[in-house]
Amino acid sequence: MKKKSVAMLLTAAMAVSMFAGCGSKEESASGSTAKSEAAEETKEETAAGEKKGGKTVGATYYTLQTEFCMRMDNAAKKWAEENGVTYTGYDGNNDAAKQLEQVETMIAQGVDAIVLNPQDADACSACVDVAVEAGIPIVGVNTMVNNENLTGYVGSQDVGAGEEIMQYMIDYMGKDEFNIVVLEGPMGQSAQLQRWEGINNVLAEYPKIKILAYNTANWSRSEAQSLMETWLNEHGDEIDAVVAENDEMALGARVAIDELSLDIPCIGIDGITDAVTAVGNGSMIASDFQDAEGQIIGALELALSAADGNDVEKEKWIPFQMITPDNYTEYVDRY
Amino acid sequence: MSQKTAVKKNKMTGKQFVAQYGSLIGLVVLFVIFAILRPRFVSFGNVRNVLRISSIDGLLAIGMTFVVLTGGIDLSVGAVMGCASMYAAYFAQASMGYPTIMAVAVGALVGLGFGVFNGVCVAYFKVPSFVGTLGSMSIAKGLTFLLTDAKPIPNLSDSFKFLGGGYLGPIPIPCVFMILILVICFFLLYKTKYGRYIYAVGGNLNGARVSGINTKQIMCTVYIISGVLSALAGVITSARVTSGVTSTGDGYETDAIAAVVIGGTSLAGGRGRLWGTIVGILIMHILSNGLDMVGVNAYIQLVVKGFVVIGTVMLDGLSAD
Repeated sequence: MKKKSVAMLLTAAMAVSMFAGCGSKEESASGSTAKSEAAEETKEETAAGEKKGGKTVGATYYTLQTEFCMRMDNAAKKWAEENGVTYTGYDGNNDAAKQLEQVETMIAQGVDAIVLNPQDADACSACVDVAVEAGIPIVGVNTMVNNENLTGYVGSQDVGAGEEIMQYMIDYMGKDEFNIVVLEGPMGQSAQLQRWEGINNVLAEYPKIKILAYNTANWSRSEAQSLMETWLNEHGDEIDAVVAENDEMALGARVAIDELSLDIPCIGIDGITDAVTAVGNGSMIASDFQDAEGQIIGALELALSAADGNDVEKEKWIPFQMITPDNYTEYVDRY
Repeated sequence: MSQKTAVKKNKMTGKQFVAQYGSLIGLVVLFVIFAILRPRFVSFGNVRNVLRISSIDGLLAIGMTFVVLTGGIDLSVGAVMGCASMYAAYFAQASMGYPTIMAVAVGALVGLGFGVFNGVCVAYFKVPSFVGTLGSMSIAKGLTFLLTDAKPIPNLSDSFKFLGGGYLGPIPIPCVFMILILVICFFLLYKTKYGRYIYAVGGNLNGARVSGINTKQIMCTVYIISGVLSALAGVITSARVTSGVTSTGDGYETDAIAAVVIGGTSLAGGRGRLWGTIVGILIMHILSNGLDMVGVNAYIQLVVKGFVVIGTVMLDGLSAD
């Protein structure tokens, strides 16, 4: 029995070392021991010129289980490879505490710069504090972090996106009196708050457009589908248009609409692959493309520039781009 | 440690040895592997990070151990943690000017409330624990969102934030809480009649009842312990991330259950040990920290963690034959 267990443990050890093989390239040579704060340690070892090939940068994403974040992670990997930078992406699993832990891990690892895609603008503020304390530049991407010590921020203006889709829908309808339903992101997340604000900014000028219902579908296609089914039951053909704060939810709503053989125009934000296809075949009228690649590369460049000791711009905005039936082919196979 | 086990080994069969120390060996092996792969893994800063995060999640796992020992399960720990973190944060806002102890007390009260509710449902109304705590999970989640319409609560007072980010000498405050709680729980479980009754209730409910133990009362109290510890974890978390966030604790119940079973506590109740749970939670966090350090892909990490949970329990099962 003991032999067996030893064998199992050895197998586990082998498995782990196998993963290690395909992990990052740098191997700490000396491994200075446990005396000082992580921060001091980082400086010492960097000064000793331990890292030879290029810089090391780590990024924590609020999740790696949505297409948008995967796009950022993939674009970052590609960019890092092309630029000789060692890059590691972390999955924050929708948990601010987990992201804080990951930032601390990166600091202990001695990265040169950190990119933070926060689960929450306030809750991830602590991530900035620990990085700043350790003297490592930390750049926010896609979602703002409410912390004035943030080295820089690269993102797109969600209020603008909310305004753009609402205005596009109104132009599409060609009238200023109709009923809409709004599918919202997770309540309290800044993208939800700001896109909702944008939608309402436009609606303020069109008092005859009525919101029949609004609720969160948590960015999720399946949740949006069942929510839309409920709304269709309740309001039937009173619903003239669907405004979704992201594409996944617009697509979910579309499934519910198709099941009843109705044709209610839907619009979303992000420009994910399925949405581009949907714009092409007419099941969505448009999608406001959020440039994941542009954002993450902008953030990486900003972070590494700050690591070199340069003064960097505090905010860098990457514009949204409306994908319409006229231009959708440009976005096919973009990733 | 090697000396101690060497002595005991002579008296034990191999099977018993693995059953007793399997998870501990696993922990040591993991630690050594990561230390070799990444010397920085054993740096003071990193070890402290791991211990701090283990201290917070560990509170849930300790509470869960009490519940599981009686043969129940508490699925509401993550949601109660989130609920307590929000309500505590609400009273900890710098602008409100309440003393920190007030915020902590509010958080603890939330936990106490859910604990009593769960305990009464399960022990006195005979609602299966799986169902009762699933219900209170939903209730806690709803109350969490209701407080601020799901908006986060920033700008907490400095003295409150100290509870999560502060230090007592070199020791992070969450670890101080953990040590205190551990001492109390070890005492309760192994030095008092109450502790023996918990094992008795989980091992043989009818036997315990006929021998005169107030089994309902015992069952009720374990949910209270679990609720209060979850709430404490929530309070510390909001102090650590320096704001109240509604998603706090989402999915933590599964990690807590995993830590308990990795530690060798039987889900059937009556058999298990508290130190095993501590080992379990350390395994989970060392694994996640170590894999992060080594730079293992996030998706592969999930696969590895799944196999580790199943593997340890398999080892336990094999040796228990």
